[in-house]
Amino acid sequence: MIFVSEGLQKAYEILLIGALYLLGVLLFFCILRTIRGPRVADRILSVNMGGTMTITAITILAVILDEGYLVDISLLYAMISFLAVVVLSRIYRGVYLARKDAARRDPAEEDRESERRGQNVS
Amino acid sequence: MFPEILRFGAGALFFLSGLIIFVIEIYGNYRFSYVLNRMHAASIGDSLGIVLCLIGLMIFSGFTFVTLKLAAVAVFLWFSTPVCSHLVAKLETETNDELEQECEVERECRD
Repeated sequence: MIFVSEGLQKAYEILLIGALYLLGVLLFFCILRTIRGPRVADRILSVNMGGTMTITAITILAVILDEGYLVDISLLYAMISFLAVVVLSRIYRGVYLARKDAARRDPAEEDRESERRGQNVS
Repeated sequence: MFPEILRFGAGALFFLSGLIIFVIEIYGNYRFSYVLNRMHAASIGDSLGIVLCLIGLMIFSGFTFVTLKLAAVAVFLWFSTPVCSHLVAKLETETNDELEQECEVERECRD
């Protein structure tokens, strides 16, 4: 980034570094949602949301430091975040279907399963 | 001097509106009570918020190769976030046994 005057450089610094502070606070709330989320889909969604904010933070850093390669890292981060959502949703769907199948085959298994889940909740 | 101030103003307008969209995303995520409603709030920030932020940063960084890469990030996110939302919604509707308590479900779609 080319700075032409002292005042404009100060304005750029205040804007971009203030944005980094704001993104930090918002990421904290994303993590809080991940911990509190009652369902699995909630957690996956909030992880994806935090990934989006991290991508923004990395691109802001790329502009502040004037390092072009950091944008490549944010592109990689976007790809990995997308892959994580795809894989996690497939895995949880598979786990749910396997549990349902096991419960259908053996009704006693379902009682034990619900008992175990009740213990986990309490 | 004057075009530089204009560039800063235009970039800051896009950038700050993107940050406001992010704040709205988090607020909506705590205001709604169910995942399929929260997904609406989360998708606002994932599609509109980050693209506004990236347009602001493109204006800041000038016309270089970095601008092209920022555009690539934006295009990739516009392709990937609808797929993410679809997969999460599919997961939720398939694994929730008490979906009727949360929202209306058509019979044909359920099975």
